[in-house]
Amino acid sequence: MPCMTAVVQTEGLTKFYGKRRGLEDLTLEIRPGEVFGYLGPNGAGKTTTIRLLLDVIRPTRGVARLFGADPRDAAVRGRVGYLPGELALEGREKASEYLAYLAGVRGGIGKGMIETLAERLEVDLSVRMGRLSKGNKQKVGLIQAFMHEPDLLILDEPTSGLDPLVQQEFLAMVREARTAGRTVLMSSHVLAEVEHVSNRVGIVRRGRLVAVEDIAALREKAVRKVELHFDAPVPEEAFRDLPGVRDLKIEGAALSCTIDGRPDALIKAAARFTVVHLVSAEPDLEEIFLTYYSEDVHHAHVGA
Amino acid sequence: MPMLVRKTLREYRRALIGWTIGICTFIGLYVSFFPQMRDNPDFYSQAALAKYPEGVRKLMGGLENFTSGAGFLQAVVYQLFVPLLFIMCAVILGNKAIAAPEESGTLELTVTLPVDRKRLVLERFAALAAGLLAVAVVSLTVLTVLAAAVDMDVPFGRILAAHIALYLLVLFFGTLALTVGAATGNKGLAMGVAGAYAVAGYVFTALSRDSQVMDVLSRLTPFHYYSEGNPLVNGLPVGDCLVLLAGTAVLALTAVLSFDRRDVGV
Repeated sequence: MPCMTAVVQTEGLTKFYGKRRGLEDLTLEIRPGEVFGYLGPNGAGKTTTIRLLLDVIRPTRGVARLFGADPRDAAVRGRVGYLPGELALEGREKASEYLAYLAGVRGGIGKGMIETLAERLEVDLSVRMGRLSKGNKQKVGLIQAFMHEPDLLILDEPTSGLDPLVQQEFLAMVREARTAGRTVLMSSHVLAEVEHVSNRVGIVRRGRLVAVEDIAALREKAVRKVELHFDAPVPEEAFRDLPGVRDLKIEGAALSCTIDGRPDALIKAAARFTVVHLVSAEPDLEEIFLTYYSEDVHHAHVGA
Repeated sequence: MPMLVRKTLREYRRALIGWTIGICTFIGLYVSFFPQMRDNPDFYSQAALAKYPEGVRKLMGGLENFTSGAGFLQAVVYQLFVPLLFIMCAVILGNKAIAAPEESGTLELTVTLPVDRKRLVLERFAALAAGLLAVAVVSLTVLTVLAAAVDMDVPFGRILAAHIALYLLVLFFGTLALTVGAATGNKGLAMGVAGAYAVAGYVFTALSRDSQVMDVLSRLTPFHYYSEGNPLVNGLPVGDCLVLLAGTAVLALTAVLSFDRRDVGV
């Protein structure tokens, strides 16, 4: 059962590799039942954070807690399913044998879990691990992370190497985990991979957490490209200076613009004419996301 | 059997089989020469004297009276070649315990399992000890049967004693590789330290009768405690074996404590 204390909690978590900064002063809380997207470019500190949380490496300063306990406690790690960013599977052992071994170390898992997951992800587990393709290794990694139905899933770049259909299946698995009340921390360098399943995203850059945002709030701020087609040419004045509307272009009966945040004003203005066609691209969260990278300013809702 | 021990032994299986076959083949080839040597003692003693310069003979344990059963076994099995092969096997397996999986990246997932790090190292060590024991038992059996077949006339108790000392020597070096790997995560370093210590130890011990310095140095190496008591003649040197065991225990403890303290895979 998820408890009410934070599932993941860090305070001033810092890791230096010699003089090189891996992560500095990370303070973060992930609540029970939340899906948290952890974003940043390669080398920003995502994997360092995750390894600290799982006690693979030890902090230079600060603390990390899982379920209120030190991750050095083996029992706490038993409640976590972990997919490493660079999953190494090798040798002559069959994937099914390896999974059975992991299940055994974890004290047994639900009957048929491995087979069910293998079917969902469409992977043949009778193959020797050294012969698995990158994508299939990733699938085996996902199976071992999900198979014991852990309270917390920590997934480092889970979608890398998966083809789009399998990515969809994986996202469905994450949604199911969330519905079941589990907590998920997943990292990515692409927002698009996590935005549809995450409640919040944190953005890490050069070893520092620069922002934590609600996905819904981020979507409000999102830039959206909109095209409207009318049955007759429309006057430009009717759309000029609408709040949130930028890059307005009107050519005869066609209007195109970008919208910051809500499209409400544009829709109301357009309602006075006859709209025959409306195209609205998915809000480009990536674009907002990138503004965090291009600015050195701290957009702080850190620890919100 | 604990999960990790079983898993580690499964990883060792192919290497264990290969090394066992290698060591037993070697023993078989050399022991099969024994009848010829026994029947022409003068010829072979002269040949050995003529073939090897004195320095080399010393390194090979003197090659004195190797036409007797015990002398022959000492010279061809227990002196150099079998310990050398067996130590190579142990160092390679010791490296597979921590350093090799750490360098290949497979250790990362293992340390995140609900297994205490101390227990992880201990179970890997247990698997190493068990795997090497299997090689020792099989090679002992083969040697005993062959020695009887060629009428070597060495009592089983003496062969057993020599093999126990051999096992403890080999376990020491395997554990040394495991420990350097556990402390540093560096496969090459573990291999280098164990290999250099084995070669230096062997040379110091072989030349220990020549000089005071070598004699003192040899006491710092496991070979001294392995060969000093001459178990093929005198039976099990209990004190020396305890020194080897104690050395292994200290190494294993060092492995457990140092692996528990450090970052993995950085």
